[in-house]
Amino acid sequence: MGVAGIVTETIPKILDPLPGGRHLVNGIEFIVGWARANSLWPLVYGTACCAMEMMATGASRHDWARFGVEVARATPRQADLIVLAGTIVEKMGNNLVTLYQQMPGPKYVIAMGSCSISGGPFYYDSYSIVRGGDRLIPVDVYVPGCPPRPEALLYGIMHLQKLIRKEGRHNPWKVKEFETPPCIDIHSNSKKEWVEIETQKQAGMTTARERFKAENPDYVPYKAVRRPKDKFPEVPRRPVVQSGLANQDIYAIVHEVFPEVKQVKQENTDAENDKKLTSETLLEFAVTKDHYLSLLTLLKTHATLQMDLLLQVTAIDQHDFFHILVHLLSTRHGHKIFVRCPVAGEQPEIETLSHLYRGAEWHEREVYDLFGIIFRGHPDLRRLFLKEDFPGHPLRKNFKDPSRIVKRPY
Amino acid sequence: MNDIAFPTTNAIGDLVRANFPASSAYIINGILGIAAVLITVALIPVFLVWMERKVAAHFQARLGPMRVGFHGTLQSVADGLKLLFKEVLKPAGADSFGFFLAPILPATASFLVMTIIPFDHHLQVTDLNGGVIYVIAISGLSVFGILLAGWSSNNKYSLLGAMRSGAQLISYEISLAIIMLLIVLVSGTASLREIVLSQQGTVLDWWIFKLPGLGLVAFIMYLISSTAELNRGPFDISEAESELTGGFTTEYSGISFSMFFLAEFVNMFVAGTLTTTFFLGGFLAPQIGLGTVDLLFDAVPGFVWFFLKTCFIIFLFMWFRWSFPRLRVDQLMELEWKVLLPINIIVLVLGAIFVAQGWILP
Amino acid sequence: MEINHLQAPPGFTDTAAAEATTEEYYLNMGPQHPGTHGVLRLVLRLDGENVQEVVPHLGYVHRAIEKMAENQTYLQNIHLTDRLDYLSSFMNNLGLCMAIEKGLGIGVPERGEYIRVMLCELQRIQSHLLWWGVLGMDMGAVTAFLYGFKEREMITDIFEEVCGNRLTMNFFRPGGSSADVPDTFLPRVATVIERLKRALDEYQTLLTDNIIFQERTRGIGVLSREKALSYGCTGPVLRGSGVQYDGRKNNPYSIYERFDFEVPVGQGGDSFDRYLVRMEEMAQSIKIVQQAMETFPTGPYRSKEFSKYRIPTGSYFSQVETARGLLGIYMVADGTAKPYRLKYRSPSFSNLSAINEMAVGYKIADLITIISTLDLVIPDIDR
Repeated sequence: MGVAGIVTETIPKILDPLPGGRHLVNGIEFIVGWARANSLWPLVYGTACCAMEMMATGASRHDWARFGVEVARATPRQADLIVLAGTIVEKMGNNLVTLYQQMPGPKYVIAMGSCSISGGPFYYDSYSIVRGGDRLIPVDVYVPGCPPRPEALLYGIMHLQKLIRKEGRHNPWKVKEFETPPCIDIHSNSKKEWVEIETQKQAGMTTARERFKAENPDYVPYKAVRRPKDKFPEVPRRPVVQSGLANQDIYAIVHEVFPEVKQVKQENTDAENDKKLTSETLLEFAVTKDHYLSLLTLLKTHATLQMDLLLQVTAIDQHDFFHILVHLLSTRHGHKIFVRCPVAGEQPEIETLSHLYRGAEWHEREVYDLFGIIFRGHPDLRRLFLKEDFPGHPLRKNFKDPSRIVKRPY
Repeated sequence: MNDIAFPTTNAIGDLVRANFPASSAYIINGILGIAAVLITVALIPVFLVWMERKVAAHFQARLGPMRVGFHGTLQSVADGLKLLFKEVLKPAGADSFGFFLAPILPATASFLVMTIIPFDHHLQVTDLNGGVIYVIAISGLSVFGILLAGWSSNNKYSLLGAMRSGAQLISYEISLAIIMLLIVLVSGTASLREIVLSQQGTVLDWWIFKLPGLGLVAFIMYLISSTAELNRGPFDISEAESELTGGFTTEYSGISFSMFFLAEFVNMFVAGTLTTTFFLGGFLAPQIGLGTVDLLFDAVPGFVWFFLKTCFIIFLFMWFRWSFPRLRVDQLMELEWKVLLPINIIVLVLGAIFVAQGWILP
Repeated sequence: MEINHLQAPPGFTDTAAAEATTEEYYLNMGPQHPGTHGVLRLVLRLDGENVQEVVPHLGYVHRAIEKMAENQTYLQNIHLTDRLDYLSSFMNNLGLCMAIEKGLGIGVPERGEYIRVMLCELQRIQSHLLWWGVLGMDMGAVTAFLYGFKEREMITDIFEEVCGNRLTMNFFRPGGSSADVPDTFLPRVATVIERLKRALDEYQTLLTDNIIFQERTRGIGVLSREKALSYGCTGPVLRGSGVQYDGRKNNPYSIYERFDFEVPVGQGGDSFDRYLVRMEEMAQSIKIVQQAMETFPTGPYRSKEFSKYRIPTGSYFSQVETARGLLGIYMVADGTAKPYRLKYRSPSFSNLSAINEMAVGYKIADLITIISTLDLVIPDIDR
């Protein structure tokens, strides 16, 4: 027991039996509670969309400084309050727990928005989400919304202030410890209570309804009328404004060097016939692994094509093989080219493009991370988004991890 | 000099002296003086924090604290109490002795400087002959606190912040000392009380106006150097929240953080009082040469004028902070060594010439 | 988050310079750091205050939106695009809706197009206002942050009146939008535009003309034209480096080809150029909104609704110029009601990848400014 222990436990224990001592202790508690409630310094912590609304709460119109929530601290050591603004993912989870542990007690947590309450819109099908901040750290106040309005957050703060003022010696001044270890589902425990509350509410409602009927015998309930649905016209597509080289010209240039490179067959355009390549068609070249690098080198260095910007490198899982998809853009002319290259096998491999376009480095790391495709000659092939020890590659169609994914029931 | 018009003793001190033997009266008066300074040191930040928040809020088109007391007047009381009852953490690997000693040093420094500030002609704990030198010597103490805090925290952000702060404080102290030297030169005394008394007369006798042109330049230089010395925006690189999270205070929590917080605001007050003393006539009422108005102003106690002038200077500090972006660390050093210091030396030389030639307003 | 002094963390190329006379050290910045705009984590190799190398670590808000997209219908996917780059949610909605329209071969009536363009341009202004404020705050001018938000709230009010939401709009649908704009829309936009014009002058005085601000941004974080292209940067970052490419001008979508506006381009590619490009873009967006207000048509706001959106097999691509750059949506359809693969090419992802080129050789404080002028939205990077 340190100095804090003497203040919070020994002194009240001595004072309590003395005449009037209890009132003294209560008085001090009241003052301390008042001070804590009116001086909640939040930690600068925002992960996603809700952070914007949190910033808006701090800005001129809503101004949380009015409630004493002014001094937003960047360091957890001086903060009293974490507003969990935004989604918490698995990789962030450990850091969040660290941040919470670094805060000095007493510390409070507001879960702002659906994501930090339960996972929100990312509850189903997501392999990386933490379904609720309360699985990691104890939460005091929940503010629902996606994202909640600033007024809602202010209400949450006022509610937290009310809770803090009520804090007595029995819910004490001492440091809040971890009541629940991380990653335990506290919802299942509270479900029973919820059912109880709900039954009580229903019973109350029934009696109230009966009483109302007895008091107003000639009441006719209002019947909702559905607004007639608007009729909208069928509108034809406006012609696309052509920019850059025409698709046929690009096709001709490429075909001249690589006669075996073909436009990918598409349902809506009969691309087997080259002449039908219109401006609406997506220009996609199917290329084999052998010609992959040489075709892209040509596209980059060709004087008329000038594909100087790499927009993305990605992959598509076609069940028995993968398509590598490279997407190029010419900033001078404005035309775009897609290159598709099939790769197969359990550990598919392909050449890297990072020496052609530096930007490809990260795109390839992403593909490696999510699809498990290896890029030969890549300077720094590590996982990009997921933890190093994440099992499997989640964007593969056969990825299954019931411990992480909750299947959408509809 | 001027002992009759401006007595150095006040009623309480006289009362003690009258009722106790000389030796014990000496001790009792000393204790009373220290207690008065301590209470001032404790209360000034309460007011200044509230003022800072309100000033900032109204600059930023919002209201600031509103819920506790009238327009949030009790906000800083709530903050202080909360910090008092907060857990004090020491990061693993931090050096206990240094870590807990560090917050005390800046607070002590500002407390010690407060003892020689002439709040009114009879409100001063002691008047040292070499008051200016004492100020320079003591205010250097806060650098140790900051450096120690950064070094003992075992955190790279703290260390970076402390190193920045150390370099900054030591550099800007030179500018500050040169301007102080100028005032000592023109007023012919190093005692703060006598510097104030050397500005008697009308408003034009204040050092900011008495040296034609030069006084204003020196005032601006002093203001800039003080802002830097205070670690406040636009020179707040040592705390630089968006870069270093909290600078040297990153690892401090609860009461030890509040000591830094307190020292920052007391330092701001001290800087305000020193500026007032050197340039704005200290506790002297502004005399503008109109008989009735002068009489009316004279009737207001000196310490009220002193606080009003100090608050004006502090308002300027706040204005700077909430208007300008922050300088980078190398730009800050360039500003001091390549701009401020040469100008200050020129100002000092010119001041000597002014005195020698008698180019001082009558 | 502990980093060993002696052992280089992963991702660093050049760990120990032989000629170095001072001891270098590693500094971890983030994922909770006020200067990194959310949950970006950077590991820096520093020589004193000088940045020697920056290694970003991503994935601290990787929410698996692309995986979820494969299990949701096309319409359900619209609301997920709001949460990618939440500051350009209208534009993200528009991108996905255009891809679906391409697949279904449906068009959009005039009024629908005008609503789209006006809302997108207003949102571009809104997003830039926030960026401006946050840039100010990152450089220590906290007042700028609150001024930016002051005007931003006025635009947010318009959005709230139009679609009931402040941030995540979920408003556009294939063929138009989910509702018509209210009658008060045009008068309110006119008021806000007037206010914004005055505000932009105010900003000029507060930040642009400030000597400290100019000293902090001029010649800092230079990204050459070649580097910008090589890293695939888009948007104001690319234009700041002197490449005249704007998706609205070079690959016009919706009805952008009808409006008269200019694409501001920087010269040197430093932080100040990127700043000026964005400031000018706000003025240009105001110009577009004004033109749209003059010719705002009446009529239906959307085309015929479908009971079920089934897109024929094939791949579809649409791109929009968001406030941050070029958002590409690549959609592979297999004839069912759900996409087979939906890939978002997010602008911030590529813009961030060039951070090492920009930050090396400058100070830590400059790194914060550079991150700020990139205008990153981390969920957009991580998806």
